[in-house]
Amino acid sequence: MALQEQPKKKKKIKVPKVINGETTLVEVEVDDTSGPVWGPKDAHTVINHPIRRVDGPAKVTGQAKYTYDVRVPGMLYGRILRSPHASAEIVSIDTSPAERMNGVKAVISYADKKQLKYEGDPVAAVAAITPEIAEDAIRAIKVTYKKLPHVVTPQQAIKPDAPRVFSGREEADLKGNLRPGETRGDKAEVEAALKTCDAVVEREFMITMQHHACLETHGIVVDYNGGPTATVYASTQGTFTIPGEAAQTLGLPNQQAVTAVVEYMGGGFGSKFGIDLPGEVACQLSKKAKAPVHLMLTRVDEFLMAGNRSGAWQKVKAGATKDGKLVAVSATQYRLGGLAEGSQAGIPYIYHAEKVYREVAALHTNQDGSRSFRAPGHPQACFPTESIMDDLAAAIGMDPVEFRKKNVSDPAYHRQLDAGAKAIGWENRNKTPGGGPGSGPNNALKRGMGCGCATWGGGGGPSCQVDVFITPDGGVVAQVGTQDLGTGSRTITAAVVADEFGLPVEAIETRIGHSTYGSANPSGGSTTTASLTPAVKDAAYNARTQFAAKLAPMLNAKPEDLIFHDGKVYAANAPDKALTWKQACAALGMAGLSARGEWKPGLSGNGVHGVHFAEVEVDTETGQVRVLKMVCVQDCGLCVNRTATESQINGGMIQGLGYALYEKTVADPFTGNMLNTTLDEYKLPGCMEMPEMIPIIDDGDERNVVIGMAEPATIPAAGAIANAVYNACGVRVTSLPITPDKILDGLAKLRKG
Amino acid sequence: MSMNSFDLHNPTSLQQAIALLDPTDANNRRVRILAGGQDLLTEMKDHIVEPEVVVNLKHIPGLDTLAYDPQKGLTIGALVRVADVADNADVQKNFPALAMAAGSVASPQIRHMGTMGGNLCQRPRCWYYRNEHIVCIKKGGDRCYAATGENKYNAILGGGPSWIVHPSDTATALVALNASVTITGPKGTRTIPLEKFFILPSVNVRRENVLKPDEIVTSILVPNSPLAARSVYLKFREKSSMDWAMSAAAVALTTAGDTVKEARIVLGGVAPIPWRVPKAEAALKGKPVNAQTLEAVAEAALDGALALAQNGYKIPLTKAILRRAIQQAVA
Repeated sequence: MALQEQPKKKKKIKVPKVINGETTLVEVEVDDTSGPVWGPKDAHTVINHPIRRVDGPAKVTGQAKYTYDVRVPGMLYGRILRSPHASAEIVSIDTSPAERMNGVKAVISYADKKQLKYEGDPVAAVAAITPEIAEDAIRAIKVTYKKLPHVVTPQQAIKPDAPRVFSGREEADLKGNLRPGETRGDKAEVEAALKTCDAVVEREFMITMQHHACLETHGIVVDYNGGPTATVYASTQGTFTIPGEAAQTLGLPNQQAVTAVVEYMGGGFGSKFGIDLPGEVACQLSKKAKAPVHLMLTRVDEFLMAGNRSGAWQKVKAGATKDGKLVAVSATQYRLGGLAEGSQAGIPYIYHAEKVYREVAALHTNQDGSRSFRAPGHPQACFPTESIMDDLAAAIGMDPVEFRKKNVSDPAYHRQLDAGAKAIGWENRNKTPGGGPGSGPNNALKRGMGCGCATWGGGGGPSCQVDVFITPDGGVVAQVGTQDLGTGSRTITAAVVADEFGLPVEAIETRIGHSTYGSANPSGGSTTTASLTPAVKDAAYNARTQFAAKLAPMLNAKPEDLIFHDGKVYAANAPDKALTWKQACAALGMAGLSARGEWKPGLSGNGVHGVHFAEVEVDTETGQVRVLKMVCVQDCGLCVNRTATESQINGGMIQGLGYALYEKTVADPFTGNMLNTTLDEYKLPGCMEMPEMIPIIDDGDERNVVIGMAEPATIPAAGAIANAVYNACGVRVTSLPITPDKILDGLAKLRKG
Repeated sequence: MSMNSFDLHNPTSLQQAIALLDPTDANNRRVRILAGGQDLLTEMKDHIVEPEVVVNLKHIPGLDTLAYDPQKGLTIGALVRVADVADNADVQKNFPALAMAAGSVASPQIRHMGTMGGNLCQRPRCWYYRNEHIVCIKKGGDRCYAATGENKYNAILGGGPSWIVHPSDTATALVALNASVTITGPKGTRTIPLEKFFILPSVNVRRENVLKPDEIVTSILVPNSPLAARSVYLKFREKSSMDWAMSAAAVALTTAGDTVKEARIVLGGVAPIPWRVPKAEAALKGKPVNAQTLEAVAEAALDGALALAQNGYKIPLTKAILRRAIQQAVA
C-alpha cells in the first residue's frame, strides 16, 4: 500500500461576501485547525470594555487628513458639468471656451452619450489650477440640449402612457417602467387564509429616497504624472477596491501600479465603493493633463450623483387571529431606485406568518440610481411591517410587544423586547391610541410609545491579512490595509493586540488604509469587525507564540505557561520573576519579531438581532413630533469596543430618526429637477432634534464570537417612531418622513370620523 | 460651488456707496449691495444672481449702531448683526418679540454674520426660485412653478402671480412693533412705515419691497410703546436646529384688566410679505382672552386664506400658532 500524505482536515463554512455593498452568503473551505480562541467574555483586559478611539484626538484637532485635505505638488482641481435635465440628448457641445481659459489644463466631453438619463448625469469635466477656475470653465462650456420627456416620481412612472426611462435593448424585461422581480407564495391561498382572520389590515406605504449625506462628499485625489505608477487618495469604504479600477482607467498595466491611501474617510453608509464616478472622471482628467487631480463632489453634486437609499411603494394586507397569531400576509413591493434596481427585504420581515404572498418589482424613474445604504432593503421592509403589526395588535386589543413575541420564535427578540420595554417604561404607555392625557398649551401635547425589530448578518469571512511587528525597544505595530468607515478599525485592531499582550491600547501603533499593507475586505454589510478582528487575533496569537518560545528559556518555563499581563511577562508559577515588556522585547535581538495572521473560523459569527423603542410627544395643534427618548437593544456576540458599539447604536438611532421625521428627496414632476439639493432644503436632524438616547448592548447574547452590528442599529427607528406617533395621537402615517402636515391632515380626518 | 468674478467696492461713505449703484438696474441684476453676505453670497454661489459689481457697506461708519432711548425707542443700524439684537437686554425687555424673532433666525453662526438690514432685504427661499435651472416668474420667467408644483412651504395668503413666502423672521416682528425704516438714496433720506416697505407680487413680482435700485436701507426705528413691551414672536418650523418658518405669529398688545385694549397682529411664513391682520386685531380688541375670542381671532386672521395642493395644513397650523402667541402675550 502506497504511503499517502494525510490531507489537511478541511471544513466548509458559510461567510458573507459583499459585492457593491450587497451581502450574500457564500460557502468557503477553510483549514480545520486549532488556533486562537477569545477566552471567557469577562476575562479580557481591553476588549469588551469601553475604549476611546485612538484617532479621536487627531480627528477633533484637524490633524487627521481626509482625502478632501490632500494636496500634492502640481495638483489640479476637477469639476464636473452636470446635466440640468432629468432626460435629454446633447445636440451640440462646444468645450473651446473652457479650453481657452487660463489655468485650464484638461477638458473632457461626454457628448458621445446617447442619452442623459438623470439630472446630474455628467456632460463634461474640467481640471484647472484652482477650483474657482475649474468651476468657471465648466460653466463656460456651451451645451445645447434637446429635452426629452421624463418621469421623476413613482406616480408619473407607473402611468401606462408614461415616458420610458429605458429604451431599445434595455427594455426587454420591462413593462413600461416596471421591471418585474420575484413572486413568492400563492395569492389565492393567502386570500383564503385572510378570510379566516379575526382582524385584517390593509395599507399602502410610500417611502421617499433618503440620501447618505456623507459629511465628506465622494471624491478622490489621483497623484499621477503620466509615469508608470500612481498614488490614489480616496474617500472609500474599500482600500482594495481602488487600485484595480484606477489602474484600468489610467491605462496602467495592472493594479500593482497603483497605491491606494485611505487614512481617514468621512462617511459612506454604503455609497462609497470603487473609484466611483468622481474617481473615473479624475483619472481621465489626470491622464489627459499628466498631472495630479483633486476631485471632490460639491454638495449639490453629492445630492445628484452619489446615489441614495431606494424608496419603496408597498401595498400590504395582513390578518391575525384574536389570540394573536399572524396568519397571512400579502404584499406588493415596488422598489424606487431611480435608474437602479433598488433594494427591498421581504414582508413580514422578521415575523412568521403561515401564508405569505409577495410580489416585487422595480419601478424606474429618471433619477440617480440607488446604492446600498445601511442595511439595504431592511428599513423599507421594517417600517410597513412594524406599522401593520401595531395595527393588528390594536385591532385585536393585544399589547404590541406581546403580539410581536407571539409571532417571532427567536428567544433573542423576546429577551430584547423585554429589555427595551423596561428601559423605555413601557408599562406607563397609554393603552388606547390617542387616548392618553394631554399636557402643555391647551393640553395639546400627547405622548406615545412604539417599538420595532431588526435583523442582519454582520458575519466575517476570510479576507484580512494582518501583520504584527515587535521591535526590540518595545514598540508594537499592527498593520493591515483596511479602512475606517466609522467602525473604529484602528482602535479595535490596537485593542485586540493589546488584549493579547496585556498592554494598554496606546502601546500599539496601528497602521491602516494603505494598499501595500495586508489585504482587507471592503466595509459593506457590517462585515468589517467580524472579518478584521479574527485576523488581528490570529496575528497577535502567532506573535505571542513566537515571543513566548523565545522568552521561555529565560524564564525557566514552558512557552505555554508564560503570562502576558499588565505590561509584564512571567511564568505562571513565578509572577515575582517578571520581565517588563521592554526587557522582554530586548531579548528579541535586532530583527525584532514579525507575525502574520489571517481570518480563522470560530472567532466570528453571523446573524444579529435588535429592537428599538421610541417615546414621542405629538403636538396635536401643530402636528410637530418630538422624539423624547429612544432605546436600542442590539446584540453583537462578543463586543470588541463597548464605546464604539454604543456610538454605532446612537448613530443608527439618529440616522433612523432623520429617515422617520425629516429627510425627503423632492423631485419636481413638471421640470424634472431635484428641488432640495442643499443641506438647508434637505432636512437632516440637528442637535436640537436629538432625544435622550439609550444604547443597550445585549449582554444576554452568549455567543463568544465577533459579529458586526452597525447597520441593524438604524433599521427599526422609523417603525418604532411611527408606532409611537400612532399611540400618542391615533394617526397612522403610512409615508415617510412623518411631517407636521401629515399629522394635521390625519387628525382632521380622525375628527371627521 | 463658486461664484462669478465681480468688482468689489468698499466705499467709506453712504454718498460713495449710492454713487456706485445704478438707478437703471431695475432688479439689481448688475449691482448688488453687500452687508453680512449671508443671503447674497449664497445667491451668488448658486448663480441665482451674477452681479458685475458688489458694493460692500461694511466700511461705512455709523451703520452698525444699536441704540435705545426711552423716549425715541430703538434705533437699529442696517449693519447691526442679528445676534446683537437677539442678545440685547433693552431689546429683550422692551421689544421681546424682536429679540425672539432675531434669536430664531437660522443658526448662531449666521446670526453672528447676518445683519438686520440684510435680514429685511433677503430674497425668498422658494426652491424653484433658488434653482439655477428654473426660470420662475420672480426671475423673469412666465410662471410660478410652485403654484401647481411642490408647494408645501408656499403662501396661503396674498399669493399670485408668485406664491413665495417672505423669509424674514425679524420683519414679521418689526411690523407688529410698528417699526419704520430709513432709506437713503441720491435724493436724500426717507422714512416709511416698515409695513409699507414690503410689497406683494401683484404689485411687482420681481421684488419684495419698495427699495429702488439706487437706495440703501440705513436704519430701522422701533417706537417705544406699551404694546411693544408686551409682544411675542412665535415661530413654527419642522426642525429646531436651523429652519425657516412654516408659520409664525407676532403679537403686540396691551390689556385693561382681563380685556385686550390695543393689539397688532402679523403673520409670518404664510404670505409674500409680513401679513398684518387688522380684522383679527379688531376681533381681539376689547375682548377677554378666552377660547371663544381666540377662535374668532384665528378665524379672522386666516380670512381669505387659500390653500394650494400641499399647504392646506398651514391654515390650522397658523391658527394654533396665533392662539398660542396671544396666550403667551397675555400670560
